[in-house]
Amino acid sequence: MTPDSAGPTLRLSIAIVDDEELVRISLRRLCRALGLAASVYASGKELIEALDARDARPDCLLLDAHMPDMTGLEVQQQLVGRGVRFPTIVYSADDAPEALDRYAGAGAVAYLRKPMTGDQLMATIERAVTASRATQQAR
Amino acid sequence: MPAIDDVRLSGAALLRAKGGTLSLRNGLLLFGVISLLGNAIGAAMRYPEIGSAVLFPPYAALTAALVVSSRRHWVWFILVGDLTHFVAHWPQFSVSWILFADVANICRALTAAVLLRWLFRDALKLDGIVDLLRFVASAVVIAPAVGATIGAANVVLHGGSDSYLPPWGAWFTSNALTGLTMLPAFLLTVVNGPPWRGHWTRSRVIEVVVLGAVLAATCTGALMLRGDSRWQLALILYAPLPVLIWTALRFECVGASYALTAVAFTAIWAADRRIGPFLTAPPDEYVLDLQLFVGLTSLTVLCIAAVSSARNAAFHLHRALMASVHDHVAILDARGVVVEVNEAWRRFAETPNIAPSQRVVEGDDYIAACRAAVDDDDRIGQQGLIGVLSVLNGDRKRYEIEYDDSWTGTPHRYSFSIEALESPDGGAIAQRRDVTARRREQLEMEEQRRELSHLARVSALGQLSGALAHELNQPLASIGSNAEAARILLKRRPLDNGEIDNILRDILSENQRAAEVIRRLRALLRRGETRLQPLNATELISEVLELAHAELITRRVTATSVIAPNLPPVLGDRVQLQQVLLNLILNACEAMRSTRPSDRRLVLLVNAGAPGQIQVSIRDCGTGISPELIERLFEPFVTTKPEGLGLGLSISRTIVAAHGGRVWAENNADGGATLHFVLSAAVPEATAGELSFMLGSASAPSSAAAR
Repeated sequence: MTPDSAGPTLRLSIAIVDDEELVRISLRRLCRALGLAASVYASGKELIEALDARDARPDCLLLDAHMPDMTGLEVQQQLVGRGVRFPTIVYSADDAPEALDRYAGAGAVAYLRKPMTGDQLMATIERAVTASRATQQAR
Repeated sequence: MPAIDDVRLSGAALLRAKGGTLSLRNGLLLFGVISLLGNAIGAAMRYPEIGSAVLFPPYAALTAALVVSSRRHWVWFILVGDLTHFVAHWPQFSVSWILFADVANICRALTAAVLLRWLFRDALKLDGIVDLLRFVASAVVIAPAVGATIGAANVVLHGGSDSYLPPWGAWFTSNALTGLTMLPAFLLTVVNGPPWRGHWTRSRVIEVVVLGAVLAATCTGALMLRGDSRWQLALILYAPLPVLIWTALRFECVGASYALTAVAFTAIWAADRRIGPFLTAPPDEYVLDLQLFVGLTSLTVLCIAAVSSARNAAFHLHRALMASVHDHVAILDARGVVVEVNEAWRRFAETPNIAPSQRVVEGDDYIAACRAAVDDDDRIGQQGLIGVLSVLNGDRKRYEIEYDDSWTGTPHRYSFSIEALESPDGGAIAQRRDVTARRREQLEMEEQRRELSHLARVSALGQLSGALAHELNQPLASIGSNAEAARILLKRRPLDNGEIDNILRDILSENQRAAEVIRRLRALLRRGETRLQPLNATELISEVLELAHAELITRRVTATSVIAPNLPPVLGDRVQLQQVLLNLILNACEAMRSTRPSDRRLVLLVNAGAPGQIQVSIRDCGTGISPELIERLFEPFVTTKPEGLGLGLSISRTIVAAHGGRVWAENNADGGATLHFVLSAAVPEATAGELSFMLGSASAPSSAAAR
């Protein structure tokens, strides 16, 4: 497989979980403007319900680390427990370097620090999806 | 003999004597001379008609010596007293008679001395009727009775009398009269020092000389005459009274006692010489006549002297008091005329350039001076007029103001009060105090308190810095994503104007939100003057919860506010009250650090407490507060946090107290603790209807459930 085959033309589907409505909406707009399909969820619980109902089949998950009820870390752990296959990109305003290690340990493939640019976002998603597919094909 | 040298004669610990010191040797010598002289006079004044002396000076001498000398020296005085008694009476009387009489004398003087020292613990003085009654009871009644009981037995045993009562009466009367006439002079002289040692003005010396001359003339003139008719007798017996009363009024008990002694001796001497008014009576009655005259005159004059002495003491105390008060004091009568001012007031009144109304001194009409102030643009006088009129009219008991006075060029702050006098004649007392220094200290303290509370605020916000960065990053992230999306959309054709408009609207609203966070932060970080204004509790709490929002999420605490509807606004300083709330919320979060995340619930309750009050309660589900800490929780430097300074709660208490409220803590029955504080409502409470509580999350502004 050539790297080009993983381009935006494939119209990747992205799931976004963020408790802040305006942040959620702005990310969806950006993803859509970047040519990605995007669906948003206000909490990890909503996403898991959608996955269970098979309403969502995202290629990649954008996950806010900083949420009440269920933090990004807990959502990530639950997803890993359920054996989902799509890669997770965690984003947060948290500057702490150990945050990345925490999420990487929980199975996240990338970590973005808010605020992020469209290019950063796009590049990270592409890298995550490519790496994930490569891993899955290798199995 | 070291025990004898340099012992204070007057230095008995029990009595404060102003008479200075005498060595024991000199004291005994002096006492010996007086006692010998007294015994000789006593012996010379023995009347065969009564078998005793009319006056017995040794009683006064020994009692005075015992009262002022140290108890361990009493034995010396008693021995010298006995010796002189013996010398004066031997060989006229048998040794056994003299020794028996000695026992009577010793017991009498000891009784008097012990009683006097007990009754006049602080200082022997005869100021007032109570003092006089104590003196008469101990030295004129009880001690002479003790002496007479033993002395009369002596007379009977030695065959001087067939029955017991007549010698008892004679002994008692002679010593009681001694107690009334010369004992006060002896006592007060040894206690206060000889009168000639004091400070004597020339007029006082002249007065004493004139008084002595008039007394001598009256005594010799009256007491050595024989009154043939009743009016002559009355004239003679009353003649000494005016000069005695003069002495009593001007020279108190000590002077009166000296004068009475002189009158008594003259009367006795005259009677002894078979001249004077008492010889008109039959031979067996004139001694009684003489004794009644001396006794009743002495009692009357001593009463007058004691009352006058009390009055003088009160007058001197009043003068000393007025002089020692540093405040400027003026006493006004019921018409507002200045009756008296103290030295401080007078000095101030003489300061150049002060307000005209402040120049009043004794005799001036204060009300008139203040009325004149209305034309003089003298604001101080105008205030004074309001005060003095309202107090003198009885509208109020006390009027008090603080004002800045810049009349003299250097600004001063004074506290001025006018208070009604609790006297039947009415009147008022005006007091002025320079409080410039106190005021300056007050301002400095306030400044320091503000500084400290500002520091505490900055430190509390420091704790929040991570959360606050998040709070700002959130809208910034949203703005960034929206702007990028818009840029991409702008390159597409056809333009989706609707979506671009939506994006811009969201950007504006997020921008607004970021500005709001900064505005709140700046308000809390500013160090400003305290500004009291009516505040809405709901707004206050929701603003603080917004500020703490990100921190609550990080700490995984769910906050709910339950606010009673229709609460009146509270009067307070917005920033300071937010500081208190923020502090209590952060403390509650800290207390729930080890609680399971799903149980970390924080509830803010606001309701009407007592009438006119608003009560705010912050309830957590943490570890609670240990009983030994709960009382001291609000003291400075008391903390449970390893890194805490322990100032947050103490500053919170200071702030709440400055708002006229109070703050306290209690443990919840079902775990955790609740911190309460009450504040005054800004307006009188509206009619207390039924308070239906409404869950905060159900109403938009008070919604605080962490999003």
